[in-house]
Amino acid sequence: MIELSHVSKRFGDETAVDDITLRVAKGKFCALVGTSGCGKSTTLRMINRLIEHSSGDIILDGQSIEQYDPVKLRRRIGYVIQSTGLFPHWNVARNIGLVPRLLKWPATEITARVEELMGVLGLPVGEFAHKYPHQLSGGQAQRVGVARALAADPDILLMDEPFGALDPITREKLQDELAKLQSRLHKTVVFVTHDMDEALRLADHLVVMRDGRIVQQGSPLALLQQPADPFVDSLLGGLERGLKQAALTRVKDHMTSLGPTLPAQSRIPTDFSLRQALSMMLRDHCDRLTVVDQNDMPIGELSLRRIVKEAQLDKVSQRDA
Amino acid sequence: MTPNANVGSVTNVPNTQWLLPFGWALLLLISIMGMPLLESVFRWVEPDARQVIYSRAAFYELLGRHVLVVGVAAVVTITAGVLAGIAVTRERGRDFLPLVGQLASLGQTFPPVAVLALAVPVLGFGTLPIIVALMLYGLLPIVRNTLAGINDVDATIKEAAQAMGMTPWQVLRHVELPLAAPVILAGVRTSVTINIATAALGATVGASNLGDPIIAGIVNGNMAYVLQGALLIALLALSVDSAFNVYQQRLRRRLSAF
Repeated sequence: MIELSHVSKRFGDETAVDDITLRVAKGKFCALVGTSGCGKSTTLRMINRLIEHSSGDIILDGQSIEQYDPVKLRRRIGYVIQSTGLFPHWNVARNIGLVPRLLKWPATEITARVEELMGVLGLPVGEFAHKYPHQLSGGQAQRVGVARALAADPDILLMDEPFGALDPITREKLQDELAKLQSRLHKTVVFVTHDMDEALRLADHLVVMRDGRIVQQGSPLALLQQPADPFVDSLLGGLERGLKQAALTRVKDHMTSLGPTLPAQSRIPTDFSLRQALSMMLRDHCDRLTVVDQNDMPIGELSLRRIVKEAQLDKVSQRDA
Repeated sequence: MTPNANVGSVTNVPNTQWLLPFGWALLLLISIMGMPLLESVFRWVEPDARQVIYSRAAFYELLGRHVLVVGVAAVVTITAGVLAGIAVTRERGRDFLPLVGQLASLGQTFPPVAVLALAVPVLGFGTLPIIVALMLYGLLPIVRNTLAGINDVDATIKEAAQAMGMTPWQVLRHVELPLAAPVILAGVRTSVTINIATAALGATVGASNLGDPIIAGIVNGNMAYVLQGALLIALLALSVDSAFNVYQQRLRRRLSAF
């Protein structure tokens, strides 16, 4: 668990991070979002003491980070950056095995761990272990970067715009893989990005920052339904907010049991998002879909009218809460 | 399969690369051993001289002393230069960076002849003054290249190294120095090659080396002596320089990301 309370960072007269309080529960994925220079990277780098905070407390697993030796602290926190920071004179296997080697693991264990991680991140050992960073594509290099961060199996993972330099297709692919990885590994992740869609896709907890301060934090759905001010609203896409919210909602949460009427022609699996359902309705010129399970068996129905009504109900209940 | 193939190709290439330095070194040895055989050629240069082959000391002895002087100066300069370069690129030493840079430049702008003239009254005649002069003269390229090499290491790579939990010493040893090595080596190469030529000046203060035939030739008006000294110094410089070249290229290939 990571807790920041009233943390500030001043560089000379300038305040980069201003009195932020933030709690990331164990196993949760927290995204810091904001425009450039809003202090999100500085916040991240204070957690592994690349930057020392000026005031406030940063608590890691119940202990202030000042009580840890910085070197030992960093060895138990994974770190991924946009430019990967891979060592150009080391091959992939050696880069990935860096932290275990620093921790003086036995050589056989390091080799086994490196090969395991390369498997997890889709880098065939025979093909990639002996390649050097300059021989990799951007996406491959970032996979190596993630593998390196995970090598010593840290509980905490800090990621600073890890996919920012990748093309949209590779970026989406890596986002998906990271989401899958996270659902298996349950690391405590702090993820910095300026891409709101990325944050919405990945985060359990969304923190919007501006000028060194936290403007709003909460679950992605909560922010989408109730942005605190016009800035958060515009970051969340303004008019697009409805669709973004739909993208985070599963079909199965809004389906009704099959009615007496004839089932609709178009079929949609339960684990698809409402956004995909809406798109399908537009495409097929209909306002009802048949919801099917994995075996393509109809199990329910989704109607446009109901989705619209329930979206409103969601909003009302949110306001009441 | 692939790693083995790579290793094979890496070891295969330098075999032919070493041909050039070995060639120059062989030519140097032949010249030293066979100088008397060239008497007719040098007689043609100096038809009236009583003697055309320098014989006050054996050439191999002069070569040995020459190499020794340059070698001692190089060991001291490399140690001092690289250590100074490392020290002022550390966080604690940053304040001294301009000072060290200027001192090293001063060493090179100060003519070695003047250093010799100033050093002789203090250190006496012989080998010591020329070693001091070479040390001062050779320091700049090494310090400058060490600074450039270390400062050019990508800041994000250094930060990543630190963030992974490397100690400052480990960052230096495993990241900064290996990545700066080709640039530092280039400085060492310049320094040593220049000093092989400059060491000849030592002959003027009684440090006998390959400069002896040159000085003796100038004093006695015997161009044949001058040519012999110049030829041997040039061959020595070419041997050493081409050896550095091979080594530098191997380092570069190992760090072929750049």
